[in-house]
Amino acid sequence: MARKVTYLAGIEGAERELTVEVHDLDADPWPLGAKLKYVGTEVPRLDGVAKVTGVAQFTQDVNLDKMAYAGEVIAPHAHAVVKSIDASAARAMPGVLAVRTSEGKRVTYAGSSVAAVCATSREVLADALAAIRVEYDVQPHAVTVEEALKDEVRVSPRRSNDTAGGRGGAMRRGNPDAALESAEVKVEAEYRTAIQTHSALEPHGSVVSIDKEGNATVWASTQATSGFAGGRLLRALELPRGRVRVITEHMGGGFGAKFGAQSWDVLCAEFAKETGRPVKYLLTRRSEHLVGGNRPDSIQKLTLGGTKDGTFTVLAGETWGTSGNGRGGAGCANFMGYTLPSVRMLQHTVSTFTARGAAFRAPRHPQGFFALEGAIDAFAAKAGLDPLAVRMKNDPHPVRQIQWKIGAERIGWKRNHRKVAGSDKGPVKRGVGCAAGRWSQAGRGNWSVDLTIDSSGHVIVMNGAQDLGTGTRTLLAICVAEELGIPPATIDVRVGDTRYPPGPGSGGSTTAPSLGPAAREAGLRAREALAALLGVEWKTDSEKVTLEDGVFKGPGGKKATFQEACGLIPDEGLRVRGTRRRNYDGYNRETAGCQFAEVAVDTETGVITVERVVAVHDAGRLVNTMASRSQVNGGVIQGISFALYEERQLDENLGDMVNPTFDTYKIMGMADCPQIDVVLTTVVSGFNSIGMMGLGEPATVPTAGAIASAVYNAIGVQVRQLPMTPARVLAALEGRQQ
Amino acid sequence: MKAFAYIRPQSAEAAAAALADNDGALIKANGIDLLDRMKERVDEPNALVGLVDVEAFDSIEVEEDGGIRIGAGATLAQLAASQVVERFLPSLAYAAGHAASPQLRTRATVGGNLGQHTRCGYYRHKSFPCLKRGGDHCPVLKPGGVQDTAAIFGNGTCASASPSSLAPVFGSLDAVLTVRRGEATREVPFAEAWAEPKAGWASDLVFDREDLIESVHIPARAEPQRLGYEEVRQKAAFDWPLTACGVRLVAEGNTVKEARVWLGSVAPTPLRSEAAEKVLVGKSFTEARARAAGEAAVTGASPLPGNTYKVQLTKVVVRRALMQAWGRS
Repeated sequence: MARKVTYLAGIEGAERELTVEVHDLDADPWPLGAKLKYVGTEVPRLDGVAKVTGVAQFTQDVNLDKMAYAGEVIAPHAHAVVKSIDASAARAMPGVLAVRTSEGKRVTYAGSSVAAVCATSREVLADALAAIRVEYDVQPHAVTVEEALKDEVRVSPRRSNDTAGGRGGAMRRGNPDAALESAEVKVEAEYRTAIQTHSALEPHGSVVSIDKEGNATVWASTQATSGFAGGRLLRALELPRGRVRVITEHMGGGFGAKFGAQSWDVLCAEFAKETGRPVKYLLTRRSEHLVGGNRPDSIQKLTLGGTKDGTFTVLAGETWGTSGNGRGGAGCANFMGYTLPSVRMLQHTVSTFTARGAAFRAPRHPQGFFALEGAIDAFAAKAGLDPLAVRMKNDPHPVRQIQWKIGAERIGWKRNHRKVAGSDKGPVKRGVGCAAGRWSQAGRGNWSVDLTIDSSGHVIVMNGAQDLGTGTRTLLAICVAEELGIPPATIDVRVGDTRYPPGPGSGGSTTAPSLGPAAREAGLRAREALAALLGVEWKTDSEKVTLEDGVFKGPGGKKATFQEACGLIPDEGLRVRGTRRRNYDGYNRETAGCQFAEVAVDTETGVITVERVVAVHDAGRLVNTMASRSQVNGGVIQGISFALYEERQLDENLGDMVNPTFDTYKIMGMADCPQIDVVLTTVVSGFNSIGMMGLGEPATVPTAGAIASAVYNAIGVQVRQLPMTPARVLAALEGRQQ
Repeated sequence: MKAFAYIRPQSAEAAAAALADNDGALIKANGIDLLDRMKERVDEPNALVGLVDVEAFDSIEVEEDGGIRIGAGATLAQLAASQVVERFLPSLAYAAGHAASPQLRTRATVGGNLGQHTRCGYYRHKSFPCLKRGGDHCPVLKPGGVQDTAAIFGNGTCASASPSSLAPVFGSLDAVLTVRRGEATREVPFAEAWAEPKAGWASDLVFDREDLIESVHIPARAEPQRLGYEEVRQKAAFDWPLTACGVRLVAEGNTVKEARVWLGSVAPTPLRSEAAEKVLVGKSFTEARARAAGEAAVTGASPLPGNTYKVQLTKVVVRRALMQAWGRS
């Protein structure tokens, strides 16, 4: 069932021959340097026109006959017991279909639902929600890590406040104590990052409709159509999974907080059952900020030690962060990427009376690399070494070694990196900095892609997975196109619907490398089927039918275009399936990547302007370089926003968020966007027949670290707290930083 | 949103009459701020008097004596694009051309910019206590309150910061507001247009519900005026200033004969800094003098633990606005 294939993988300049065991049905892996027609080119997204003309239908756009609207009253307290609820006025309003209240409920975060309404219109809904009076018995709370850790505040939504949490919670290797003792150069500092809310343009939520035969359709803004209809939703609908169709035709952003059905989706389903109408519920922007998920904050105390020549020997540290009233999840990836022979790390997830954190584009990484790269800059300064040279000296990754050089060239490191940090004349000082990133995702799962062709040559490619906006549709078309020899734009791709074969949840940068190889195989199977039809027609062995430059060729000069070959397809059509199987042994499990930034800092006002970012990334073999660049642009933009602007601001006394709107929650806009210079290095990863890896997450990992590094180079002091607001920059300049 | 009547008068007189006739009616220009407040139910008017049809409400005119009259309905985009404003009032053109975002500037009006309520997050959501909404205290002032953008002057009872970026410019220009109430209009010097914070008084202005700002008048000047405006914002667009300063200087040779220094975003209302003006008047202008004016401008500041940095920012914007003005002869 298996065969061995030997081929060239890796990156030009650090290539390596791999011998892998490949399933008989798998396509031959494309080697480094393979001549491909569509894979690895610039392909505009297939749904681009639909999106910019407003034709594309998002969940918010779904409007059904007799549709009702659901909404919730949310608690403005971090910790309280609901004493009483007077919903009589709401119940009496014409158009109110159903009201629920939660008397006696213990609220453990602001934003928690205490009452819900279903009404015939948005307007009635808003009036009904506003008319509900809730009395609370307010209880003591702690909403920040520091408050929660104080001895006198032993009130926690969880019993323990000092659980080591998250992956890598407690971690030890080598001999950290001895290494710390003997380190010739040692730096110690505390780095802090703020809570960043997901802030997807499209809020969470769904439209639930139950037909007369008892089948439900759910339009949802979800990163996991196939996993969306789980236990609670199915129980609410009282239906088996097979009777629940989930549709996410287009999605307005998902960064890790939109997987399975959540309480509001369940509520929507319950109201749909109760009222007999389709029900829509998309969260308000305020609820999005409060309960729609967030990246946990961090306090990271790091000690980095090494030798005078710049070799790291040890990293020791302790971190604290809150993932709200959940458990775990506030760890930091601050000990990864570089060679660190000895590590001692203890990471705490502190529970607070705030809504739960969620996976957020590269969980643990942007915050971890911000701190680690800060420690590296401090180490290099203390050792009197060039910070880029120190990074390269301790970097074990063959791809990143190449990327550092590319990035340094593009940013003009030699010319632009200030030998003496902060040495520019005048109040506005410039500098450049750099940081590494990492990720690891070669795809997984035995997903299938179905493909049909009719005699007119119309190709339909199907998988249930959603396109988050990253270009999954287009990617599937390209993988099929390469095998069939027809342009990607001629292929009709249908995704985001559980009527099609199940697809992966889009988390951990899995979607592209999980589905791409299946799509390629579907294309290959279709090509074989067309060759078989031609074999019969030409009275030859189908293996003698080849496809070159989009033309099928057979012995004796026989030729058929793709269209002509499809003419042989019988009325019942041609239907094939491509399946992805287990990963092979690859070139390197780690995705590399590094970024360089150039900033201008007004030292009188503390305002930072990011002028340029050079982002050098790899993600295995790139299928669509245009979409890949777009992914990196997005990652950089979100990273700058994390570095300079985004911060959930809570009133510590009231325990509620003061900036739950886009005019007060600062998020990067177009006017703040620097020139982003994206360099994509192709690495044939070897893990699958295409050699792909995921790119969504790695692109945002280095950004904050690179900007902080550039700020340090510009002004000569580190700003060790994100976001780097004018207040924090000025405090650092005045030596008032914590 | 509560149901409301929408009235669209054709003239300022009719608008004033509609305000008088409809108890609880509020003025709506293009609604940038008002509609947000209504959606949050911070304001729940029975009626809106829309000004879209009011004739000449958006005009920008040079009067016979050289004064400039700006209709309250003129948009920020109009101000920024106006040749008259660009030529005679460059500080106003700059402030108007950089406020908010390009989209907002095409709708936001001069009257709305002056009349917008504080952007304080506590004021903007009903579940928070707020003095301006009639509460007994300002939660920003408590330790643990979010203070970063709050006022550093006059913040004893309410720490809201005046959001208007046009206000310090109009202040520096000694602007006069023409305000209509019923059939009568009155001229209100800019400095007298603002109300100290008090419980239940949401607006930053002294005017009440029936007062309609018709226009802003910039008096004619015989001597050349040197104008400057500087602000510090965290983001390049869609953000409010953390601190702003509008200045006007009249010089005789190298000596400052007259100075107006107005601050924005540092107090519950726009704030004139006579202390800064005193440092300048009668003295020769130098960068050191401008710096001293910046220092003088922050005397008496009472920053909160969470916004001491705004004192530094204020010194800087005053100096920079003065340098900019001086450089513009």
